[in-house]
Amino acid sequence: MKKRLFLASVTGALLLTFGMAGTASASGETLEGCFLEEWLEEKGHLGGDHGEGGDHGGDHAALHDEELLAEIEKKCIEAPSPIIPELNEVIWGGGAFLVLLALMLWKGFPAVKKIMDERSEKIASDLDQADQTKADAQAVKAQYEAELADAKSEASRIIEEARQQAETLRADLQERAEADIADMRTQAALDFDAARERAMGDLQAEVSDIVVGAAERVVEANLDAEAQTRLIENYINQVGSE
Amino acid sequence: MSEDRIIKYAEAILAVASAENNGAEVEDELFRFARAVEGSDELRLTLSNAKIPAARRQQIVEDLIGDQATSATTALISMLVAAGRGGDIQRIADQVVELGAASRAKAVAEVYSVIELTQDQQTRLASSLKSATGKDVEIKIIIDETVMGGLLVQIEDEVIDGTVRTRLKQLREAF
Repeated sequence: MKKRLFLASVTGALLLTFGMAGTASASGETLEGCFLEEWLEEKGHLGGDHGEGGDHGGDHAALHDEELLAEIEKKCIEAPSPIIPELNEVIWGGGAFLVLLALMLWKGFPAVKKIMDERSEKIASDLDQADQTKADAQAVKAQYEAELADAKSEASRIIEEARQQAETLRADLQERAEADIADMRTQAALDFDAARERAMGDLQAEVSDIVVGAAERVVEANLDAEAQTRLIENYINQVGSE
Repeated sequence: MSEDRIIKYAEAILAVASAENNGAEVEDELFRFARAVEGSDELRLTLSNAKIPAARRQQIVEDLIGDQATSATTALISMLVAAGRGGDIQRIADQVVELGAASRAKAVAEVYSVIELTQDQQTRLASSLKSATGKDVEIKIIIDETVMGGLLVQIEDEVIDGTVRTRLKQLREAF
């Protein structure tokens, strides 16, 4: 609304300035008016002279008119000053300028100042907002970088922990495998010893069976009545001697 | 059968044998018959089988003994079989021998041998056992082929082993 009012005031001032201005001339009138005005003025001054001359006076009057026209023409067609304007133009122009200046001082400048202030405030606000946004972005960036650093640290920690766990697991597995191998070797040695003992036992039993079986057969073959009697006698003698 | 009843049967047999004046002979014959029953499962089962009539079992006993024992011994064994004590003859016989020996202040020496010992050998063996154990013993010979040779004497809980079987066993264990 204020902008419209301001534009209307400016437009009115311009129309008033340029619309009221007339054509520049020496007298401030038209050329025909100038001729007419000058002609009537000169004729008013020379009216009595024309009646006194008669026929003779007629030729003389014609000559005089021609001179008068030349003089009028000289007056009316005289060029205006290129520097000093006509007084009416100065008045109208000055008034318009004052009106325009007053309008500008009254409405224009405050409006422009207000717009400029608002614009400045908006720019300042935008700058503040930009600064705030920048600060926020920097904060977010810092937070992101901190989180990234934390993530890297956490990743490194996890990797290190996993490596340590893997190392521990590997050591445990190796230790267990070595223990298992040692147990297997011990068990194998025990099994071997047991198998050897069994084999030796079986072999010894086999040999014993063979030897004792042979001895039994020899003894049975030789245990006749005489041998039985001799064994009984030996028993009786041994028991009696104890 | 309870131990008390075994002892009562043994005492009754000893009383009959004493009445017949041949106690030692009855003891010996009863002991030998008991060892024969002990060595034959079929005979032991037959004499203890209640489904076989008592007369049949008595007849088997008489046929087995024949004239190899006194009539008193045969009658006592027949009485035990008829009374359904055929399965306890070994225990009763052992008790009879022990009670008889005890009545004579002697211990029973069960002698396992492949062959029968002569009376002289039994006398010398009893003397040797007395010097070894300090006990007067009565020799009861038990023929056992498994001893292979030599003698094994058991007096109560004491065992004196001099058999070839044990020597061979020791030889086997020595390997």
